[in-house]
Amino acid sequence: MTTPTEHPDSAPAALDGGGAPAHGTLTGEPPIVLATHDLTKRFAKTLAVDRLNLTVRRGDVFGFLGPNGAGKTTTIRMIVGLIFPTSGYATVIDHQVPRDKIEALKHMGGFVEVPAFYGNMSARRNLRLMGSLNGQVEEQRIAEVLDIVGLSERADSKVGDYSHGMKQRLGIANALINQPELVILDEPTSGLDPQGMKDVRELVRELGTRGTTVFLSSHLLHEVEQVCNRAAILNKGRVVIEGPVSELHPEHSSVKVLTSDQERARQIVAALVGAQQVTVDEEYLIVEANNDAAREMVSRLVAEGIGVDAVIPAREQGLEDFFLGLTQSSDVDAGGAAGVAGGAR
Amino acid sequence: MMLLRREFTKLVFQKRSYVGWGGLLAVPLLVSLALYLNRNNHHPGGGPGGVVSLARHDGLFMPIAAILLLSAFLLPLLASMVGAYQLAGESETGTMKTWLMHSISRGGVLASKWGIAMIYVGIGLVLVFVGGLIGGGLAFGLHAPLLLSGQTVSVGHGLWLTLLSFLYVFVAVGCVLSLALLFATFTNSSLTAAVAALVVVIVMGILEAFSYFDFLKPYLFTSHTDAWQGFLSQPIDWHPIWTGLVTFAIYIAALMAAAWYQFRRKDILV
Repeated sequence: MTTPTEHPDSAPAALDGGGAPAHGTLTGEPPIVLATHDLTKRFAKTLAVDRLNLTVRRGDVFGFLGPNGAGKTTTIRMIVGLIFPTSGYATVIDHQVPRDKIEALKHMGGFVEVPAFYGNMSARRNLRLMGSLNGQVEEQRIAEVLDIVGLSERADSKVGDYSHGMKQRLGIANALINQPELVILDEPTSGLDPQGMKDVRELVRELGTRGTTVFLSSHLLHEVEQVCNRAAILNKGRVVIEGPVSELHPEHSSVKVLTSDQERARQIVAALVGAQQVTVDEEYLIVEANNDAAREMVSRLVAEGIGVDAVIPAREQGLEDFFLGLTQSSDVDAGGAAGVAGGAR
Repeated sequence: MMLLRREFTKLVFQKRSYVGWGGLLAVPLLVSLALYLNRNNHHPGGGPGGVVSLARHDGLFMPIAAILLLSAFLLPLLASMVGAYQLAGESETGTMKTWLMHSISRGGVLASKWGIAMIYVGIGLVLVFVGGLIGGGLAFGLHAPLLLSGQTVSVGHGLWLTLLSFLYVFVAVGCVLSLALLFATFTNSSLTAAVAALVVVIVMGILEAFSYFDFLKPYLFTSHTDAWQGFLSQPIDWHPIWTGLVTFAIYIAALMAAAWYQFRRKDILV
C-alpha cells in the first residue's frame, strides 16, 4: 500500500523524483519526463503550493488529484511557465522550468483551466496558428487531431460558436497538435456532460496506451481510477499520498447488512470485525468493513445458516473523507501535532 | 518575425480591426464633404485653423486637416485601445495563457505585440492619407500647394511633405501606444489600461496649458506632437522635428523597457 508521504525533511528520500536522472535509470524504470523539486508558490500570505516533489515517468498517465483550491492549477501553471515559483523548480525532460522554459515547452502540450481560443477563427485555423508557434504543422496533422477529438465535422466553424464541451475537445486537440512527449490536461472533463466525460476519459486512456505521458489534474477520484496508472493527491498545496492508482483505494468503507436474524448476525460480525465496527441503524446492521472483510463476513453468516438478504454500500467514501482519513492518520504518525499541513508533503 | 506574422493573422480576423480602420477612413471623407458643403462660407467658425482653411482651396491638404482633427482625441484613443488590447485584452479572453504555453519568449511576444499595434495604427494612418487625398481631390482638386510659410511647391513635393508629416505623427502615436502597452502589463483589463494611458496624455496636455509648468514642456512628449507642421515650411524647420523624434524615441524605449521588465516575470493567472 502506498503510504502518506512523511515529514518534509525526510520526503526526498522516499520519492524517486528528487534529483533522479531524467534519462535512463539503474533500476530499468522508464525515464523521468516531469519532476518537481521543492516547488513552492506563495501569493501574498497564502501558501498555494508547498515544497512539492512529484515524479512522472515516460508512459505514465498520472492523476493529480485534489479538492478545489488544493493547488493543482497553480502547480500546472508553474510547470508550463505561466507563473513563477517562489522557490524550487520543475524539470521537463532535461529542461528546467522556469530557467529553460522555452526549450521545455517544446516537449509539452496542454491547457490550464478552460481552454481559450480565438473565437472569430475556425478550429482548423486556431490549430494552424497555435501549432505553428512550436514549429511547422502539416494540414494532415491538423485533420488527424480534429478527428481524434471528434471535431472534424465542425472544423471550419468559428470557435466562438462552440459549446463548452467542444472547446474542451479543441483544447485536447491543441495539446496533441505538436505530438508532445508530455500532455498536461487541467480538469479536462470539467463542465462536460456524461457522454463528453466518457469520451474524454477514453481519449486519455488511448493516449496512455499509445505511450504518451499524460499529467491529468482532477478533483474526481473515480475519474483518476478509471484512466490513470499513477496518481498523487494534493491537499493544501502538499502531496498527501503518491503511488500506483491501484493502491489509492480508501481502506475503510461501510456496508449495510440485512439478514434473516439480525441479532445473531450482529454477534457473529462483531466477533469477526470487532464490536466497535458494528452499529444498528433501524433494521440494518452498519458494518465498517472494506471489500475483503465484507466478503468474509457474508461467507461466515451463510456458513452459520443465516440468510443474507442484502449487503448495501452504506456510504460512498468521497475524496474529502479520504483526505480526512489521511489527515488523521498523519496526525497520529506525527505525534498528533503535524497533520497534513504540517507533516505530510 | 514569425510571431509578428501570427499576430497579423489574428489582426485580420478581428472585426474590431475593420471598425477602427473604417472610422479612420471615414474622418477625411466626412471632413471633405463638410468643407465642400460649406464651401461658400468663408468663416469656418473657429475650426482647426490654417491647415483646414488651406484644405478648402487645395484637396492636397485634406489628409493633414484630417490628421489634425484626429490627433486631438480619436487617434490617441485608438492607439491606447489597440496597445492595451494586445496584452490585457488577450488576458481577458484567456488566450494569453494559450499563447504563452508555446515555445516562445515573452520578450518576443511583447515585441510582436508592439509591432502589430504599430502596424495597425500605421494602416489606419495610410487610410487617413488615402481617404484625405480622395475626398480632398474630389471636393477641391489637387493643386500645387501653398505652404504655411507662403511658398508654393509642386504637387509631388507637396505629397512628399504630407507623407513626412504622417510619418512624424506615426512615431508620436507610438508613445501613446507604448504607454498603453506598459499599463496593460499591470492589469488584465484592457479598458483600465487604455483609460490609464489616455489619462496620462490628458494630464500632459493640461500641464502644457499652464505657463507655470513651462519648465516641464521639453520633457512631455505631447508638447512635441505638432512639430510636423515644420514640414509645411520652406526650408523645412528641422529643429523641432528632430527634438520631437528624439523625445518620442526616448519615451518609447523607456516605456517598452519598463513593460518588458514587468511582463517577463508576470504571473499569468487568467
